[in-house]
Amino acid sequence: MGPETLSVIKIKEILVVTLPSDPDDSTVAALQEKVLVEMERHQAKGVVLDVSAVETLDSFFARTVTETAQMIGVMGGRTIVVGMRPAVAITTTQIGLALGSIETALTVDRALDRVMLASSTTLESFQ
Amino acid sequence: MSTDAEGELAIETEGDIVATRHTVREVALALGFGITDVTRIVTAASELARNVYKYGGGGIVRWRRLGSRERSGIELQFIDQGPGIPDISKALEAGYSTGQGLGLGLPAARRLMDELEIRSDPGQGTCVTLTKWRAH
Repeated sequence: MGPETLSVIKIKEILVVTLPSDPDDSTVAALQEKVLVEMERHQAKGVVLDVSAVETLDSFFARTVTETAQMIGVMGGRTIVVGMRPAVAITTTQIGLALGSIETALTVDRALDRVMLASSTTLESFQ
Repeated sequence: MSTDAEGELAIETEGDIVATRHTVREVALALGFGITDVTRIVTAASELARNVYKYGGGGIVRWRRLGSRERSGIELQFIDQGPGIPDISKALEAGYSTGQGLGLGLPAARRLMDELEIRSDPGQGTCVTLTKWRAH
């Protein structure tokens, strides 16, 4: 995967989106639309945003991630941000970026388990 | 890895914001900063490089190693000939911005670095100097 490439794969009804390590602003801005279009195309229930490669999450990038999560919510989906590096978590928290409202998980596996468990529980409750 | 004591980069395109992050990361790592401080320094540099590009009409970043027997550090200067900042104390408040951003750049940089100095005159451009000292 190139340094600027956004990878989107579908696992069951969930999109796993892997963010590049050091994208320019255009790539970050394009992320929003691409994720929403893919969500509609795949009728996905949720999006797992893997930020484990991301080395710098400045205010522009963080705001885009937060907005994307809100947009996915408006479309009826769930967003889980996973794999944030400790140094990135420290830095974004220190500058007061509002990532606190976003659901997070430590790894992609855990995020998938959570979404799949939630959808199976929902199914059972309707039976 | 660069071992120069100082250097300069143009910030004229969006790609130069990425180049600023790369260069500042290399310099900070070479100076022996830990990964958390490197991330803080690179994040602050990214905010200010974007300000220079978006609001200053382009400019330069100058980096310099600071060192004495007692301590070492990094100094970053972001210089543009843009419209300048009319009210510096307001610009340092989170949420204030005259541009399309959310005005987080300067307050973020101030929180992440040890020192921040702004010189700006309306119509004369802006020079922001950031300093981070290495903990020994």
